[in-house]
Amino acid sequence: MAMDVVDFEIFGSEMQYVEVELDPGEAAVGEAGAMMYMQDGIQMDTVFGDGSQQGGFFGKLMGAGKRLLTGESLFTTVFHNEGQGKRRVAFAAPYPGKIVPVHLAEVGGTLIAQKDSFLAAAKGVSLGIAFQKKLGVGLFGGEGFIMQKLDGDGWAFLHAGGTLLERTLAPGELLRIDTGCVVAFQPSVDFDIQYVGKIKTALFGGEGLFFATLRGPGKVWLQSLPLSRLANRIVMAAPAAGGRSQGEGSLLGGMALGGLLGGDD
Amino acid sequence: MSGTIRGRLFGPGLPGAGSDALLSWRGEYLAVTTAATQREVAASELRVDASGFNAAQTRLAWTSAEGEFVLFLDTPAREALAASAPAGLAAGLLGAARAQRQVERRFRLGWSVLGLILLLPLLALVLFVLNADSIAGSVAERIPPEHEAKLGELTLAQVRAGLKLHEDGPALRAVRDIGQRLSEGSRYRYRFFVADSPEVNAFAAPGGVVVVYTGLIRAADSAEELAGVLAHEVAHVELRHSLKAAVKGLGLRALAALALGDLSGGVAGDVAARLTDLKFSRDAETEADREGLRRLLAAGISPHGMPRFFETLAAGEGNTAVALAVLSSHPPSRERMARLRDEIGKLPPAQFTPLPIDWREVREAAR
Repeated sequence: MAMDVVDFEIFGSEMQYVEVELDPGEAAVGEAGAMMYMQDGIQMDTVFGDGSQQGGFFGKLMGAGKRLLTGESLFTTVFHNEGQGKRRVAFAAPYPGKIVPVHLAEVGGTLIAQKDSFLAAAKGVSLGIAFQKKLGVGLFGGEGFIMQKLDGDGWAFLHAGGTLLERTLAPGELLRIDTGCVVAFQPSVDFDIQYVGKIKTALFGGEGLFFATLRGPGKVWLQSLPLSRLANRIVMAAPAAGGRSQGEGSLLGGMALGGLLGGDD
Repeated sequence: MSGTIRGRLFGPGLPGAGSDALLSWRGEYLAVTTAATQREVAASELRVDASGFNAAQTRLAWTSAEGEFVLFLDTPAREALAASAPAGLAAGLLGAARAQRQVERRFRLGWSVLGLILLLPLLALVLFVLNADSIAGSVAERIPPEHEAKLGELTLAQVRAGLKLHEDGPALRAVRDIGQRLSEGSRYRYRFFVADSPEVNAFAAPGGVVVVYTGLIRAADSAEELAGVLAHEVAHVELRHSLKAAVKGLGLRALAALALGDLSGGVAGDVAARLTDLKFSRDAETEADREGLRRLLAAGISPHGMPRFFETLAAGEGNTAVALAVLSSHPPSRERMARLRDEIGKLPPAQFTPLPIDWREVREAAR
């Protein structure tokens, strides 16, 4: 199906947003709740499913059901430009990290992404699910059994936590990565797991029992800080959840004095 | 040459993300055309395997003077290519397809096993409900009579706490006399009691404890009617009905808790257990009627008292009781009476000596 050609610009460094420019009549789809602002003339329309299904009610229902499985809202929002000139709409990343623009035509039309990494795309990109069919990878690969599949030939915007690594693997090149760090890869990449190799490492190395492995050829995108890891650290440090309140900057660091001098608690 | 077959080619001089390629066979050679270049590879140089995400893609690899090239095909492209491939390569392509199917099969198998594990308690529950009677029966067979007697003792203690039992008197004597005749030759040590209560009721606890309410004695018109009720209760004991019901209820509750994930044995489990419990009782009542009838005949007591007593009960029973028949623990008296009369009718005619009991005195004592 014909994709809308959109121009875009990414702003910010660690907490980014992407601004998409729509010509009159063009449209973009965004994850529900990701919109940051839009210019006058852009109409917002909420559709059941991902807005790419042409079929009847059943097709839409299937699309919506798949979205539910990938951990996203049942609805997507479509932003049309109903104005006269070019108009802009911006989508913001939900947590610190980088926005990854991927031109689907350049990677062969299909991209496998970690679930709930989708941010926005040109209208016509279809979001499906790709079941991880290797049981070991599903259980220990860190991305679970359900991944997201993006099909189309326009721009899609994904979101990665922390710093982004974009790498092109040569045929047969192997990259061993920590589980949970995969954002997206081309379908020609073989996603598998590998035992860390030593009992001592498995138990005390802190990397778990398995590495995830990506074998080329193809492009892969990795994130340095998966949201779940960030969330764990924040919860561990939160005083409300039993974490230790640290008097940062206080020499004594004691509760009474630190609290008095710090003043902010 | 067939229609266009598309693949994605990776290799030296090509973009890292690969580039689209059109494929066709030229005899023993595979022509690979990208936007910029065209290559021909001999089929014999191609190595085939399944690779990529989920091993869902077929990988064709070959080494040329420039270096290593790999070509990725999706399933429709592989099939199209295999249709016109030279014989040597077709086998390799089939092998790749097999490898892909194996991943798919393992995936399905894994999920089926997981689903089965999740459904197992539910399955066990269904199996148990379907076979509850025979399972409870065989478990109950393994419980020795001494344990039953202990259970009966417990029940009796509870009854004593709630009801006043007759210590002596014509009513108790009559009940004991008839009861002894009916339970002759039993492996249980029977004990008969009369409880002071206006309720028209009688019950049997495991191990041979039988309690008759004074209300029932007042409602009965003759000693034979009381004998009918006692025969029914003795049959309950002999057939171990309450023990089986208890075993079944416990098993059901445990399984329901397992299946429904409610360890406190919550409402759903309780209702399920009770509903089948009642059904058990209904079947058991009919069975006890039949066995009671047999015992009456064996003891030489007229069986006509049994249906006659049900007649009395039926006269007092309104239509609401019929409507609630499914949920009641006793089948409607009319139904039972009809069945009993039917069975008595089938018996050869016989003379019975009336019971040597002054029924008027007994009824007076039950007042």
